[in-house]
Amino acid sequence: MGSSKKAILKRASDWFLKKQESSIILILLLFSALVICVNPAFISASNIINILHATGFTLVVVVGMSLTLITGGLDLSVGSVYALGALICGMACTNGGLPVPVAILLGLSVGVAAGAVNGVLIVKAGMPPMIVTLGMQYMARGLVSALTKGVPIFPLPEDFVAIGSTKLLGQFPIIVPLAIAIAVVGHITLSRTVFGRSVYAIGGNQEAARISGINIDRTKMTVYILTGMLAALAGILMSARLGSAEPSTGTGLEMKVICGAIIGGISTFGGMGTIFGAALGALFMEALTNSLTLMKISVYWQNLVFGAVLVLSVLLDQYKRVLTMRQSIKSTEYAAAEAAAKK
Amino acid sequence: MPNTILAVRDVVKRFAGTVALKGVSLELYSNEILALVGENGAGKSTLMKILSGIYPYGSYEGAIEIKSAPCRFQSPFDSENAGIAMIYQELNLELDLTVGENILLGRYPRTKMGLIDWTRLYSEAERVLETLGTEIDTHVTVRSLSPSMQQLVSIARALYRNPQILILDEPTSVLTENEAQNLMRILRSLRNKGLSCIYISHKLDEIFSLCDRTVVFRDGCKISEHTKADGYDSTRVIEDMIGRRLDMMYPRRTANIGDEVLRAEHFQIPHPSAYGKLIIQDVSFTLYRGEILGLAGLVGAGRSELLAAVFGAIEKNRGELWIDGKKVEIKNPTAAIQAGLGFLSEDRKKNGFVQSMDIRQNMTLATLRRLVSGPFIDRIKENEQARMYFDKLRVKAPGLETLIVNLSGGNQQKVILAKWLMANPRVLLLDEPTRGIDVGTKSEIYKLMQELTDMGISIIMISSEMPELLAMCDRLVVLGRGVVQAEFRRGEADEVRLLRVASCT
Repeated sequence: MGSSKKAILKRASDWFLKKQESSIILILLLFSALVICVNPAFISASNIINILHATGFTLVVVVGMSLTLITGGLDLSVGSVYALGALICGMACTNGGLPVPVAILLGLSVGVAAGAVNGVLIVKAGMPPMIVTLGMQYMARGLVSALTKGVPIFPLPEDFVAIGSTKLLGQFPIIVPLAIAIAVVGHITLSRTVFGRSVYAIGGNQEAARISGINIDRTKMTVYILTGMLAALAGILMSARLGSAEPSTGTGLEMKVICGAIIGGISTFGGMGTIFGAALGALFMEALTNSLTLMKISVYWQNLVFGAVLVLSVLLDQYKRVLTMRQSIKSTEYAAAEAAAKK
Repeated sequence: MPNTILAVRDVVKRFAGTVALKGVSLELYSNEILALVGENGAGKSTLMKILSGIYPYGSYEGAIEIKSAPCRFQSPFDSENAGIAMIYQELNLELDLTVGENILLGRYPRTKMGLIDWTRLYSEAERVLETLGTEIDTHVTVRSLSPSMQQLVSIARALYRNPQILILDEPTSVLTENEAQNLMRILRSLRNKGLSCIYISHKLDEIFSLCDRTVVFRDGCKISEHTKADGYDSTRVIEDMIGRRLDMMYPRRTANIGDEVLRAEHFQIPHPSAYGKLIIQDVSFTLYRGEILGLAGLVGAGRSELLAAVFGAIEKNRGELWIDGKKVEIKNPTAAIQAGLGFLSEDRKKNGFVQSMDIRQNMTLATLRRLVSGPFIDRIKENEQARMYFDKLRVKAPGLETLIVNLSGGNQQKVILAKWLMANPRVLLLDEPTRGIDVGTKSEIYKLMQELTDMGISIIMISSEMPELLAMCDRLVVLGRGVVQAEFRRGEADEVRLLRVASCT
């Protein structure tokens, strides 16, 4: 009996190790069960829609961040670019009086520009991503402060705000299906295209990728530009929801996004992870934020929790790595022993 | 009876799939310079890595004793504390620190306040350099020194730790003749002061004049021992190094050599680690259809750099390349692949495969663009291609989804070869294609090379194993001192001649 139980456990643990998204699924389930015990309101339809609504904005940014992390890079500037994109778009359609689609394009191109600057400095000048994007974080935030002097752009034109309040099936705010669509496209791009394969190869071993004829510079540039653009897009959509472009919006967003991606299985060492996992990670982060409020835990404690989650998820990532390593060593030893036995 | 300082007893070291040391015993006496010779893969460096603590106690079988006391090194730090100092072939100095700082690194003297006592630091450094009979300014950065001066600094650093045993791995590979003579004078005087040395080198003339005793390694075993007192016989030492080899391992080479395929002219390549120095001064060569051309030379002769530069993987100062009589400009690997080149690099782990990917993904990495249909990689086509080469090269693995890190070295090499074969190359550049690979897989790779040349593919190969070069290559170009030293057709050269030309003696 004991041995069959053991076999089942072993199979379960093997599955757990193999499936890339397994740990985040497990975490989500355990966490939800825990919160439901404390406050059943967590799974009420309206609360779930709330969580999904919030996840939409984070998810758009997580898709870009995941690409960056998988190449072995990092983008700390997403929170500020989020605010800058929203601000430029808001200013263009209010003060500038431009049509809404043009204003949105303008906001997006600011995100593209920020990403391009990040990319050029990292790829061409060979600077470390952490420093470059930390600088960009301050520069973009500084530009927002300088342009607004701390005053929100308000009110935004009605047809712009209408985008934020559009609902699908009378229930889901437009951001939810949009974010899911972006995540699906991201997931497929990463798993099925040459670009996606290049992203993985660069994160796994940049030198081997280069020797194999993969265009490292172009791939990395694309990744940073996409990350900047998606951050700006999320910011624009958020301002449409709020009806106002807030200068402090997106502060600390990078933390939540990186946290979500890593807990969703994107490796901090690069080369591993899926957008699907990262999307679940984003969902977890929003569920966590939501539950802290539901459980009446003061907003002042939230950063402590986020910090702990980040550290724990990296710890999990490393532990998983050690386990896979051990397995691989065992299988190699096994192969060697088998070969010796044959002789 | 001489006094034994260091004893190695029945040491066995296994790696996945291969045994690098097969029960080696060795003694080092006081006041002695002991030479270790043997071809690459003989097990010398493995033993040195055990002695220097890089392979920790427990990862090998057998025992190490210093003055009859057992040693269980967990790290290079333990080994250093036990009195073993190691000087590596590649200098590992901190280039931007001063000479003095480098010599005392990690052991800076302190003032009473707990700050670094700079005056004492530099005077100590000068004292050590004096014992070497050199006058190097201790205040300049190591980067500004010539390689030979840097070599002296690393010796000074080793000596400052008052070692009982000094291990030198190919110390003269970056030195000029005069500098090498000077180094040997220093080593002799250190020996007379009571230091014992282990000296690893390929240069037999150096060893015969310097070392009291020479131990020959081959295939992980200690083969023979020769002493200076009995007189060295170079032919016997070389024979012991080479041994009676399994000639059947190599396929009978039948070459059908056609027209010129590739011509490289006047390649000049900067030294990868020494700034301002050239590793290749001026090298030209030609490759014909269906030919295997071998690049021979000692470690540091620039063979790998030459291949990497041809492939566009590293920068060159100048050099022109013709393929099929047409001049091609190869600035990066992408251009090289388009021009029909494939490049199997020397270090699989560093730039050969992607660790996080499985066999299939590694195989198709260089040919992804040929596998797309619409915007996507065609999974069926990708699987078919990978399966075909998986079977053709007989990769031993559970399946295409096995991570490449879980394979043995030989199977990893097959996967990387498959990657290049998929690209239908006209010319394959193979840098040490059989390094760290078991004998069975080696012979499979040789057979494959024969098949490829039968199909009209041309190969340039680098190998540090002379028998391999002699058996496989139709023509050999010997590099040394940055230029072509000699060119041999098949059958014109033997190992002794090749070694002599390569070491420029």
